Amino acid sequence: MAYKYTLEILTVIAIGAFCVTFLYTSATMSGAEFAGSDNVGSGLIAKLSGTPLENFQPLIWQWVPPSVEIESALFALQAAFGGILVGGVFGYWMGQKKKA
Amino acid sequence: MHIMEGFLPWQWCLVWWIIALPCVMLGIYQLKKVMASDRDALPLLGVTGGFIFILSSLKLPSVTGSCSHPTGTGLSTISFGPWITALVCAIVLLFQSLFLAHGGLSVLGANIVSMGIVGPLVGYGIYRLLRGTSINIYITVFLVCAIADLFTYVMTSLELALAYPAETGGVVSSFILFMGIFAITQIPLAIVEGVVLALVFKYIVALKPDILIRLGVFSEKQINSAGSDI
Repeated sequence: MAYKYTLEILTVIAIGAFCVTFLYTSATMSGAEFAGSDNVGSGLIAKLSGTPLENFQPLIWQWVPPSVEIESALFALQAAFGGILVGGVFGYWMGQKKKA
Repeated sequence: MHIMEGFLPWQWCLVWWIIALPCVMLGIYQLKKVMASDRDALPLLGVTGGFIFILSSLKLPSVTGSCSHPTGTGLSTISFGPWITALVCAIVLLFQSLFLAHGGLSVLGANIVSMGIVGPLVGYGIYRLLRGTSINIYITVFLVCAIADLFTYVMTSLELALAYPAETGGVVSSFILFMGIFAITQIPLAIVEGVVLALVFKYIVALKPDILIRLGVFSEKQINSAGSDI
């Protein structure tokens, strides 16, 4: 039985190990503010180019979500769209398999 | 891995657009061909594309004191190759540029090159290398997904290093600095992504092995032996 679920067990171990290491480093590492790597990268660009971050202007006009909450909602919408696709297809396949 | 709008000089934006566009066009051509020959591939495209939508929307804290997001491109790379993956990534990145202000239209070419082309191409190379061997297919899937994810960030680092070489040490020094931010943070996330997508692939094998065999993803013998192995 355990052999049948080797991959499931490995996945749980990998996610568990990741979470434990994350909790340990967040508790012990100084300055671990978990800023996004995109933001940290932007900071380095500003440093290397000698241009303050606020001086970088879009080359093409861009709509910016009016608040962090709306941005999070749109990210959730994107994930939900993917989830509906994946869930729908797996359900369709399961139904086909049961029928067969 | 998103390079933000306005963060690349227009000359570099143009270079990456010129590289990205033919690859996306090739993806459209290949997708039309696959759909014309086997309509059953459409749900599989939905699953693999769905995972790119899901995983690229998840900003996860990494163990390095920063956070980043997985890419989810490995499954599509294995199932449909790098060019169709480039097309799916272009759609996801366009959505994020227009509605989330993550990335942007001028830097879309650069973001497609890193997430949709170079990452999947390196992953596809690993897949082609291991497909004919006796290595378990789930190990192959794990390696492809993890490495495709990681190389997306290596390429982003290179794109930024080329545009912003350091005063001392030039592009190489700058590349190492960007790698320190993007790639190191990504290693643990890439490993977890590889394991999770290998598990997803197991369920695809369990539910729809025939489509994988028809698309030539793995041989019938490999699929059958892997299906009963795990």
